[in-house]
Amino acid sequence: MTVIEIEHLSKEFQIPHEKRNTLFETLTGVLRPASYETFFALKDISFSVEEGEMLGIIGQNGSGKSTLLKILSRIIVPTCGTVRVKRQVTPFLELGVGFNRDFTAAENIRIYGIIMGLTPREIDEKTDEILEFAGMERFRDTKLRNFSSGMQVRLAFSTAIQTKPEILLLDEVLAVGDMDFQRKCLDVLERFKKEGVTIIFVSHELDDIAEHCTRAMLLDHGKLVMIGETRDVIARYESA
Amino acid sequence: MSFQHIRELVKYRNLIWVLAWVEFKQRYKNSILGYFWSLLEPLFMFAILYLVFSSIIPAQVEYYPLFLLQGIIMWSFFTRSTTASLVAISDKPQMVKKVYFPRDILVISGCITTLLMSFFESIVFLAFLLYFRIPLSMNALYIPVIIFLFFVIVLGTSLILSALNVFYRDIRYIWALVLQVGFFATPVIYPLSIFPPQLLQILSYNPLAQVIFLARDVTLYSRAPNISSFLFVIVMAGVILGIGYAVFMRLEPRFAEEL
Repeated sequence: MTVIEIEHLSKEFQIPHEKRNTLFETLTGVLRPASYETFFALKDISFSVEEGEMLGIIGQNGSGKSTLLKILSRIIVPTCGTVRVKRQVTPFLELGVGFNRDFTAAENIRIYGIIMGLTPREIDEKTDEILEFAGMERFRDTKLRNFSSGMQVRLAFSTAIQTKPEILLLDEVLAVGDMDFQRKCLDVLERFKKEGVTIIFVSHELDDIAEHCTRAMLLDHGKLVMIGETRDVIARYESA
Repeated sequence: MSFQHIRELVKYRNLIWVLAWVEFKQRYKNSILGYFWSLLEPLFMFAILYLVFSSIIPAQVEYYPLFLLQGIIMWSFFTRSTTASLVAISDKPQMVKKVYFPRDILVISGCITTLLMSFFESIVFLAFLLYFRIPLSMNALYIPVIIFLFFVIVLGTSLILSALNVFYRDIRYIWALVLQVGFFATPVIYPLSIFPPQLLQILSYNPLAQVIFLARDVTLYSRAPNISSFLFVIVMAGVILGIGYAVFMRLEPRFAEEL
């Protein structure tokens, strides 16, 4: 069944030439209308995604991939067009949102877990499993300020995958970890695929896209250039 | 505020509580005195103001020390909540731009944190009540209702401020000025009766004045709450919360773009 249906989606950003950040500037500038530049991050995008699919999104920086994911996560609203989503969306746009350096790993698992939608009981039960997956059992009661960025990302990812996602959005989050970590992550994604989770995977790693994605989509300057067989889409991207 | 939204908030109740609790713990993590600072702050304020005003006011006011302390605790709940909530959204861009949950949760949890702090301070007030042997009547049972209405007013105000602050970064300075003026327009240090009748009329429309007035009545003076004050506060609470949510919901879709 179709879990995501997007029709004629467009997103326009208005970039003012001078930023009026304060009430004072706005009031004093009332007689001078602020000049804007409009920038279309997404132009008339239409596509749909079936349940259990893993759709890869590729394109150059600035092509609108992150904007699309943000709209699917309800972080940003569309300028026009319709977005119909039939399942819960779990966005992995940045790992470790809400992490607090003054608290321990266990405490941060709790905070982050709740932000990502786990219940307190689930978190209590799964804390050991999370620390084990991240390889950080020894650091349960260490404050986060003592962790490297790689450790923080591992902890965040381990916690986030405990949520039972229905639709998972990944925005280049794997790039931050080392090879081992990336492999672990992709294994988890494969497991999710088997469980029927719909995954939307934005990445610049074309090998990963080719290996795991059933279909792929190419964006260029906000336009949907091509959507279809992964191989064909990658070939189109590389030929441009 | 539709029922759907209330249902959503209930769904996120764990998040509201965790954010409030984390913020509360964090406030005291790096301080030497820890939780006790929460108790000392109102005491210091009280000591200074009492020293200054005790020769002028007490003649008109029964139980002035308690009158003053209660005013201080309630007023600082208002200032702390609004000032902290002002930046609840703008200080946490990650929470708004990288993950989705109803953004009013950030404001609600901020207000709960300051409510917790005020509860701590109220311990001092209770100690004072016992020390001065103030008799408490059944009317004191109105206190939870009054606190609830106060919370609603604070929440409504905070929603407006937090949403505006995302777009206009000087709101915090404007608000600081409003609070300065508000301090004198509210019966914290003195009863409003010291003002001439025309001014008194105007000032009695200050919802905070009515809230403090009611709170003092039911605790210190063992009086039943004044009906018209009570109704006024209930209506104002509803209006302020309504406006708060209207403003917040209108501005909320653009938060992630603006930050």
